[in-house]
Amino acid sequence: MDLIVCIKRVPQTAEAEVKIDSSGKDIVRDRLTFDMNEADSYALEAAILLKEKFGGTITALSLGTADAEDTLRIALAKGADSAIRIRAEEFVELDGFKTAALLKEVIKDIKFDAIFTGCMATDDSYYQVGPVLAELLRVGHATLVSKVEVADGKAQVNRELEGGLIEHLEMSLPAVFAVQTGINEPRYASLIAIRRAAGKEIRVVGKEDISLELKSNSTLEELFLPPVGKRAEILSGSTDEISAKAATIIKEKGLI
Amino acid sequence: MANKKNVVVEINPEIRDALVEMGAIDAYKCYQCGKCASVCPWFQVGTYEFLVFRFPLETVLGLIASSEDKDDLAREVEKLYRCVGCEACVDQCPLGVKMPQILRSARRILVDFGSYPENLKSVVQKIRNAGNPLGELRERRSDWASKAAVKNFESRMDLMYFACCLPSYDRRLQNVAMATAGILEIVGVSYGILGVKESCCGEAIRRIGAEKVYNETARSNIENFREVGVRKVLVTSPHCYVTFKKEYPDLGGEFDVIHAMEYFWNCIDSGKLTPKRSFQKKVVYHDPCTLGRQSGIYEAPRNILKSIPGLELLEVEDFSRNLSLCCGAGSGALWIDWEKGERMADIRIKQLLDTGAEVIAVACPYCLQMFEETLKAMGVDVPVMDVSEILHDSIREQK
Repeated sequence: MDLIVCIKRVPQTAEAEVKIDSSGKDIVRDRLTFDMNEADSYALEAAILLKEKFGGTITALSLGTADAEDTLRIALAKGADSAIRIRAEEFVELDGFKTAALLKEVIKDIKFDAIFTGCMATDDSYYQVGPVLAELLRVGHATLVSKVEVADGKAQVNRELEGGLIEHLEMSLPAVFAVQTGINEPRYASLIAIRRAAGKEIRVVGKEDISLELKSNSTLEELFLPPVGKRAEILSGSTDEISAKAATIIKEKGLI
Repeated sequence: MANKKNVVVEINPEIRDALVEMGAIDAYKCYQCGKCASVCPWFQVGTYEFLVFRFPLETVLGLIASSEDKDDLAREVEKLYRCVGCEACVDQCPLGVKMPQILRSARRILVDFGSYPENLKSVVQKIRNAGNPLGELRERRSDWASKAAVKNFESRMDLMYFACCLPSYDRRLQNVAMATAGILEIVGVSYGILGVKESCCGEAIRRIGAEKVYNETARSNIENFREVGVRKVLVTSPHCYVTFKKEYPDLGGEFDVIHAMEYFWNCIDSGKLTPKRSFQKKVVYHDPCTLGRQSGIYEAPRNILKSIPGLELLEVEDFSRNLSLCCGAGSGALWIDWEKGERMADIRIKQLLDTGAEVIAVACPYCLQMFEETLKAMGVDVPVMDVSEILHDSIREQK
């Protein structure tokens, strides 16, 4: 199977203090660490597992600045065969639509049986790239994918719905799968694979290769931190006193 | 390991060279006598196979973390992160092979490729972002000091007190920082802290293998120290001590570094401090790896304890001083949760309690935290105190 995995390099903000920069449209990046978007690492692992079973190739694709090549190299070390970076610095206002459209411009020249993306990127949380990409490529897609198995040219796909429900779909290929986090155990890269990946060339494409004039469907107006609510109450006292006060409040509010 | 088959190994010189480039040169010195394995804490734990003497040979053959099988590789990477960097092996090695450095060379390559445990990624992330491994806000770093009325350092002062991240933020460990400040007040020396400018020394992330973030953190600290005119640094944590003393000079950061134990003993020895109040307890002292084996400071904490009236100092027979067993928190292990039955602290606590001690004394925030949590889990009510806390109780004015 020939597979494509779309990967984004994102700042790790889950446990960080995030500050907004002077433009009001971006965050301060100095003190953040960057890594492969969490859902994308599960998407990559899902693709590697299929490649291990059926053979074929994996192409890792990222729309990002030069740093994204470090992340693509991680993908190469873990199991991708080739990697392509689209120079994000040459494009502005990258909303979900425009991102998907740029990815499509590169993917349209590659033969593929399936495309894996993360279901969302942790930085802008649009949840759009997978479905829009599928629409632009005129293939089927599934979001919040928790399992993909392939047999007889069909994919058996599970999707995670609210309320603990699982939806099982049979899908024809090619298709796009937007993968949920936690669905597999992303692997480490071995030192041998890391050495191998270090010498691989990453193809870089930019404006000169993408003739299409693309407009984004939305523009970012402002980023801001939500105002601090007035209903927070900090309890003080010993552990026993705090517990008793907390229990009283919970009861008063009718929560138990 | 029964039914062992003969395995043909493929030597990989490229990996060997990459590891050597990252600092594993000592691997060539090892002649596999196995002495390291007998003092390695994992040998005493006994429930996890960690044959430390194999790493140098695996390095020279280029076989470390090289399995092509996903699960085998995960086990190999996990094994690399079992080393707590206690240096018991270095201490006993006839050729002084720096084993933790051999393992760290592999960690460095893995970290660059995001191939290391998620818990540790989070620690690296928090230190880069917040300047401490707990992810606490920078502006709250000196909250403990405001309570104790400790001033910010100025160049005219004699000492800059570097409290370490854990005593700055952790509620229990703040008491160690406050006791240290209390003693310095009584000594009458002029001292201050860096306040919100203070950032983690970077010891743990360097040992995890995050060399780039370590370099950035250390360089920024060196710059901050210079900017405010720091000459002499007093530290509570022996982890900060080894980093400032032995590793910052490589980045151009030459400061006079003194551990609180040495400083306080000098004060007692020269008559500047006299412990008065008696402490009628049997106290066992645990040598932290970074203060004892790695810094050679064995006597100062013992001398302080012996100078306290009424205190009876006990020793762990056979496992004291350079043979002290690690608490299990070094080299990032504080943030890795091993299975029950695989924890070094359980064994060390048993050794310490077997002396009949009523109090366990330490001189390292990591050891203090590991031991307190272990005792809590065991349901044993024996206090763990930093030597500074015991000393402060003995010299302060009674209210």
